[in-house]
Amino acid sequence: MKIAQEIRAGNVIMQNSAPWVVLKTEYARGGRNAATVRMKLKSLLSNQGTEVVFKADDKMDQIVLDKKDCTYSYFADPMYVWMDSEYNQYEVEAENMGDALNYLEDGMPAEVVFYEGKAISVELPTSVEREITWTEPAVKGDTSGKVLKPAKIATGFEIGVPIFVAQGDKVEIDTRTGEYRRRV
Amino acid sequence: MRWDIFCKVIDNHGDIGVCWRLAADLAGRGDTVRLWADDASALEWMAPGGARGVEVLRWGASVDAAPGDVVVEAFGCELEPAFIAAIAARTRARGRQPAWINLEYLSAQSWVERCHGLPSPVLSGPGEGLIKHFFYPGFTPATGGLIREPDLIARQAAFDRAAWLRARDIRWQGERVISLFCYEPPGLAAFLAELANDTRPTQLLVTAGRARSAVRRVLPEGSRTGQLSIHWLPLMPQPEFDHLLWASDLNLVRGEDSLVRALWAGRPAVWHIYPQHDDAHLAKLDAFLDWIGAPSDLRRFHAAWNQGGEPVLPADAAPWLACAERARERLLAVRDLTTQLQSFVQHRAGARAGLMGSAPVSK
Repeated sequence: MKIAQEIRAGNVIMQNSAPWVVLKTEYARGGRNAATVRMKLKSLLSNQGTEVVFKADDKMDQIVLDKKDCTYSYFADPMYVWMDSEYNQYEVEAENMGDALNYLEDGMPAEVVFYEGKAISVELPTSVEREITWTEPAVKGDTSGKVLKPAKIATGFEIGVPIFVAQGDKVEIDTRTGEYRRRV
Repeated sequence: MRWDIFCKVIDNHGDIGVCWRLAADLAGRGDTVRLWADDASALEWMAPGGARGVEVLRWGASVDAAPGDVVVEAFGCELEPAFIAAIAARTRARGRQPAWINLEYLSAQSWVERCHGLPSPVLSGPGEGLIKHFFYPGFTPATGGLIREPDLIARQAAFDRAAWLRARDIRWQGERVISLFCYEPPGLAAFLAELANDTRPTQLLVTAGRARSAVRRVLPEGSRTGQLSIHWLPLMPQPEFDHLLWASDLNLVRGEDSLVRALWAGRPAVWHIYPQHDDAHLAKLDAFLDWIGAPSDLRRFHAAWNQGGEPVLPADAAPWLACAERARERLLAVRDLTTQLQSFVQHRAGARAGLMGSAPVSK
């Protein structure tokens, strides 16, 4: 059993005795609102997709599937090809890549997840380091890290970074939330 | 339709206040409502006359009740397992699940639009296999809107400010009128000092309860108040609270329900947001100020009021008034919450739908 807040893109959960792969998660909380997790799911039986929302502490069954450490190799439209240490290649459908697309770069490590022998998704490490390719010029003074400005990494994915972060800096990003953690 | 609305009072009056407004509004449109509350005592003064079509019941009695057509758990309160089991039993018996709505708190944050109307499969317990739906009040067409009774705007248009103030023994000769409904805002002492020392006289209408206590702590009986005249108000029924907001030039409100009513009043308003220990409320406040397009001095006032500092009123109130009027106009273009909720349960949430059949509500 896991709680919704612990479920990540690439995990597979059971609902009404059917397996669903989690393509995307979004944690949200504001004021007195219950913390929630919005999930984009895809049925492993019918390939149909849906969106659902759970309270962050809702309990759910996660299926433990086979996984392999792989690195990203190349894109063969519409499949993303991953390779293990023995040079075996595994294709993952573009729409099953989930948040991995936000951070994708050659040689990126991740776990490829298998269901009945087929590669169905990838699970990212909890954090990645990426270079900031665009942001407004850095501002000295505020070192609290609470005031954020928009920034982009090479994939075009936008995150909020503290105002002291400059273009070219490397930052650590939490892949579960898409949030800045620290400057590397 | 027959509605079951569940409310647990955490603290203050907002939870039961919103639930009552929704219940009364639904009943006014011809539905019947059972309002299950763990503490309905505030309704004695909030809604002393009750409402035709609304039955207020003890929370605990729900364990023996059969569910109606729609079940609303307000603000994420957890239903009794026996009542959930009754929902499941009715679903099996009729082949159709009663609509089960989780009515959430109000927020202008962007994720609300993305989560509004989404199904939430129940994965364990007596309701396993059933579907709830998250329903978010909000400020934009992609949300559930705000409660706005069908006659609200007409009542407001017919309101006589001078007569209302006179009836409360408030001698009003054109002075600035400010209503105060708050918790214990950090900026209160500085603000009261500003009003007392201002060149312009102010009539401050202080609501009963925490606002009154907060003012009394800052200004004990016998304090000199200069240009500031203070009137202590009694506990008010909801329609009277609307009148208070309509009679004021500036409304200092708190929580959720009174903010919504202040928005409908179309007068400048300052929101004392319910504080959270981890400051999660500040992002919510920012999102609201972004949505109304608050002028910079109104933002500064909110910061001082909620976090400490000196809240300063503008020399020219026109930009604040224009901001409030624009917000009201925009909200009038959004379908009200009760209409949306009725439509939602008829067309989506009440359908016999598993996870696959419950696509997101169209935006």
